[in-house]
Amino acid sequence: MDDFENLQIKLTEDERQILQGKQGATLQRVMETVVLYGEALEAERLADIEGDGHFVISWPTPGIAPSLELLEELVEASLKTKYPFTLDPKSPLDFENLCLRPDQEQLITRLHKDHARYEALLMQLGLRDKDAYTCNPYLPEVGNIPERGTVLAWSESACAIYANSVLGARTNRNGAIMDLLSNIVGKTPHAGLVTDQGRQASWLVEVKTSKLPNPQILGAAIGLKVIADVPFIVGLNRFMGSEINAAAGDFLQEMGAACATYGAVGLYHVENLTPEAVDFGKDLLVTDCKSYVIDDLELQGLMASYPVMWENKSANPEKCFIGCPHLSLQQLYWWTHAIHSALQTRGQRQIAVTTILCAAPTVLQKYKSDRQAYERLTQAEVHLSTACPETLFENDVSAGEAIVTNSNKLRAYTPARFFPDEELVEIIISGKIKGES
Amino acid sequence: MRRVFKGRAVLAGNIEGRALVTQMGFNTYASFFTSMYAGEETATCSDKSNPQLYGKNLTDKIICLPNTVGSTSSGATWPNVAQLGIAPKAMLFSQQIDSLAAGGLVVTDVWTGNRIYAVDQLGDEFLEAVKDGDGIVIREDGTVTVE
Repeated sequence: MDDFENLQIKLTEDERQILQGKQGATLQRVMETVVLYGEALEAERLADIEGDGHFVISWPTPGIAPSLELLEELVEASLKTKYPFTLDPKSPLDFENLCLRPDQEQLITRLHKDHARYEALLMQLGLRDKDAYTCNPYLPEVGNIPERGTVLAWSESACAIYANSVLGARTNRNGAIMDLLSNIVGKTPHAGLVTDQGRQASWLVEVKTSKLPNPQILGAAIGLKVIADVPFIVGLNRFMGSEINAAAGDFLQEMGAACATYGAVGLYHVENLTPEAVDFGKDLLVTDCKSYVIDDLELQGLMASYPVMWENKSANPEKCFIGCPHLSLQQLYWWTHAIHSALQTRGQRQIAVTTILCAAPTVLQKYKSDRQAYERLTQAEVHLSTACPETLFENDVSAGEAIVTNSNKLRAYTPARFFPDEELVEIIISGKIKGES
Repeated sequence: MRRVFKGRAVLAGNIEGRALVTQMGFNTYASFFTSMYAGEETATCSDKSNPQLYGKNLTDKIICLPNTVGSTSSGATWPNVAQLGIAPKAMLFSQQIDSLAAGGLVVTDVWTGNRIYAVDQLGDEFLEAVKDGDGIVIREDGTVTVE
């Protein structure tokens, strides 16, 4: 970038000096990238990043990750993020828990061959610690919990939307690579969701369902409708109350992940529940907002529209992934209880479908310290992993397998079939899909 | 009928090509998911949630879209598909470019030297007028002609 004077974005003297290469060629290139990003977003200026990062770039396969060459260039220039960062789940190399065939393990090993080098580079660039891998970093066991109002440059759509909506932090939906570069230079465009104006809602979403809806279907419906806009959601606190407790946090995490996957939603407000909605209420709505009513029929219609993408559409389920995004501790307990109770009711000892529950390393450590709960799962032949199920579909690793999930996000990117939690319990216990066998 | 639209050149250039149109948000990661890993010479859209694009060839096309949606992983998808030689030629946004597309396309430009041209703010009328296969002429001032 030669012509700094034609920039619309206003830069400080320090930022200009970096852009002119006075702190080295690599940092100059990093700053150039962030400034051009700000120009594209029509930012008036750059804002200082004020807290720990969370990035999506956790494993070294192409299409997800920055190249090793890029990371090496940053490390060789002695660059590092201003604050530590957490990452999405790590490479799926815990084969003892993933129940893969030998050919699948070989393929994954090949795809992730640079894993160790990649992780070492990320540690040098500011990765918080060796267990800081999860797509649910704001759980107490993980502890990347930004305070309200903190300016961030996070990626991972499910995390950015949670940080904005539930925690009240301020981040745009940054993409992979831009996340790292922004946090190295410590700047992010003052635009979009970082600004007060960008956090106003342009959709009034009225939830008129007869009971608390499945969060992942509700989120998909909202995302498909509002796309990139900010919705103000009313009608949910009939079922959820006005406190973000652990259960509400899990619900909002799942709903947000689906909003972000099926649309590009980076922030939602829930009346009487999320922090800005509590403080400002419907004043957050712009005057000419659009409206969307969601009832039981709307959500049933969306579910019914999902095609079966399995190669053998009439197959019985072979494998089940639960925990995309990663499960919280209370969700692990919910599944433990649901599976154990269903097995007892049927007089079975073990489940019929190979099932893997995914959660953060530190969440699994805490869960496993409860010997009774952990043994219930292991005796039922349920597996626990720190992996991301999505990685097991890259390069057709899981091609041809009949996989079921409770993740509407996983369904969006892979041939896995989505089922709500209660239905999924029956499927993994019986090995069959009700009404199809 | 020839129609001219004026947008904002985000990544400017003078190019021509054929339109591929989606009225829905373009899910970058889902669209390239299969082709990125398959080593194919062209990218076939693998986003099954987008019936307008699913199964169509994306490579060298001029994608006409409202905006991009989906995973933030798409930030790394853009430089990857550019380096694999399977990227679209240009992206024409009816709305203001979203943060994921902006970041991914800028990173591609600065760190790989591959420019995927981008014009945004072309308006809803643009997306209503343009059809699959239409000839498109893009000028570096952000003017887009649909032929």
